[in-house]
Amino acid sequence: MESSILQSIGVEIVGVMSPVSICMLLVVLLVYSLSPSNPFSSAASAPPIRTAANLVYLESPSDSTTQKLEGALLNALVFVILVAVVTFLLVVLYYYNFTNFLKNYMRFSAFFVLATMGGSIFLSIIQHFSIPIDSITCFLLLFNFSVVGVLSVFAGGIPIILRQIYMVSLGIFVAAWFTKLPEWTTWTLLVALAVYDLVAVLAPGGPLKLLVELASTRDEELPALVYEARPAVSRGMENRGSALGLLVAGVSDSGSVELQAINMDRNRNENRSNSESNAAETERYMHEEGESSVDLGERSPLVGNAQRRLSSSSDSSDYSTVVVQSDRSRQIGSREFENAVDEEMSPLVEMMGLGDERELTSGGDGMERSGRGIKLGLGDFVFYSVLVGRAAMYDLMTVYACYLAIISGLGCTLILLSVCRRALPALPISITLGVIFYFLTRLLMEPFVVGTATNLLMF
Amino acid sequence: MTVAAGIGYALLALGPSISLFVSVISKKPFLILTLLSSTLLWLISLIILSGIWRPFLPLSSTTWWPYGILIFTAVAFQEGLRILFWKIYKRLEDTLDAFADRVSKPRLFLTDKMQIALAGGLGHGVAHAVFFCLSLLTPAFGPATAFVDRCSQMPFFLVSAVIALAFVTIHTFSMLIAFNGYAEGNKVDQFFVPIVHLASGMVNIIQRLNKNSSIC
Repeated sequence: MESSILQSIGVEIVGVMSPVSICMLLVVLLVYSLSPSNPFSSAASAPPIRTAANLVYLESPSDSTTQKLEGALLNALVFVILVAVVTFLLVVLYYYNFTNFLKNYMRFSAFFVLATMGGSIFLSIIQHFSIPIDSITCFLLLFNFSVVGVLSVFAGGIPIILRQIYMVSLGIFVAAWFTKLPEWTTWTLLVALAVYDLVAVLAPGGPLKLLVELASTRDEELPALVYEARPAVSRGMENRGSALGLLVAGVSDSGSVELQAINMDRNRNENRSNSESNAAETERYMHEEGESSVDLGERSPLVGNAQRRLSSSSDSSDYSTVVVQSDRSRQIGSREFENAVDEEMSPLVEMMGLGDERELTSGGDGMERSGRGIKLGLGDFVFYSVLVGRAAMYDLMTVYACYLAIISGLGCTLILLSVCRRALPALPISITLGVIFYFLTRLLMEPFVVGTATNLLMF
Repeated sequence: MTVAAGIGYALLALGPSISLFVSVISKKPFLILTLLSSTLLWLISLIILSGIWRPFLPLSSTTWWPYGILIFTAVAFQEGLRILFWKIYKRLEDTLDAFADRVSKPRLFLTDKMQIALAGGLGHGVAHAVFFCLSLLTPAFGPATAFVDRCSQMPFFLVSAVIALAFVTIHTFSMLIAFNGYAEGNKVDQFFVPIVHLASGMVNIIQRLNKNSSIC
């Protein structure tokens, strides 16, 4: 029995949603386990640390509402300005080709984040659960962990699953630190960052947009921390080989994610004007169209499919390319350009700040769809988890509601991505939905549900 | 009652759904997306419902008929949601079939349609279990437990977990039956589902009526 289409639709989306869900789940668990059980203990009333997000106003529970609101707005404004300044600095450095400096700075900052932020979280876990471990072992383990983390993120030849795991752990550590901020500041900061993200990625003068264009004109990857949603293991679907493998096989699965675009990239770049490789190129374009699993709309793989079948016999390949070219020359021309731009553009993201209280995390985020699968910036992971972590400090119901809101926002952004095919900010939709759902759940739903459930009246 | 008991209650409410998820749904990413979207729809319906009822809360616990109206409106709303879900599903089915034709794959089989219905129902069930049972379970991880008023031998958490389990089953399979009923125009199936839902909701009120009889 042939496999139905249900097998393969939606793989890319789930490939991005699962690490986001895992990150959020672990942050919630961390928040729950590390929150002091006694709200009046000395740990809870320790003076709040002064971070970059707290520069202007330190919130304390005894301030009035308007004071808190103004202070929170000031904090958020200052933070966004700092983030914008640092991003512009990054753009300038990148423009003047200080790439070595940038790379080394990123390696250092990743190491620092893993070692210090990760270290302090591990220490509080050890303290909380009274795990018997001595300091030398702990130090060694932490050092190994951080070094392997830096290697896996920035060096090649490391299995992708390890890289994904370290990306998610980086996101968890930074998010867990952000949840230590006071409540009003956190919410206003999230909303301000969502607005900033929208402006920075889409507006013509936005720093992130400049960065993406610079990287694409130079044909290189962005110097940034990005989560790539390549599947580590193919799940029973035919794994795409090189372009030649596709020509021979003839049948393709509409949803496989990984394109193994490395061979094809080189081919394409060398033979761009070469007619023999047109078959491979158009094959790849058809395949990329087939890749967009969300597109239940207008992709017209019908022609692509016919072309695949035609080109399965290599002697008719010339004929098939001529046929296809004449039919869809305009479309292929434009798609070629778009796909060329897509291939090179890497998404936007996040320059992680250092763990020191003075440092900032400049969060620029966005997502992008290249031939190798969807990429999501690490800043998105962090701020989704911050939202869910803050919701976790209230109740489990708000956690679930915010989780659903964020996931649906992410789904909408992915659908938009497959329609627009350019770098898109991943924060705004999800954060707006998350904030709305949080307040709706907290104010409306909770008295209702708790009232009925404690009376054992369920429906 | 300790972490072990807390996890036990959570698994009691969600155990079958976890096994359904792992065996059927996790293999097909589209079903995961269906599950998430049906959970979201259920959540939205619950928010709208609580928005409507908010001015009337808290209900007095002595009379029982406000609870009756509450449950009736809630069930009616959710059945309306099911019909809405069915309409969206019809359109989705057409789009999926058209896509299948384009990539020359077979159209949706009956098992596929039933799997989508199952995922939808499971989404409703999981949402119900989380919001009505799991969100109240956080105290259960602590050192003590709370007993039900009228039967002082069963812990409250256990009762709510068992009821949540029953409702998960109802939600999951009623979606399946309802979709089948709508597809084949079978009136019996179509009315079976709302009646069962309403009955199970109303039965809960009975236990509020008999204050003296023990329900152990």
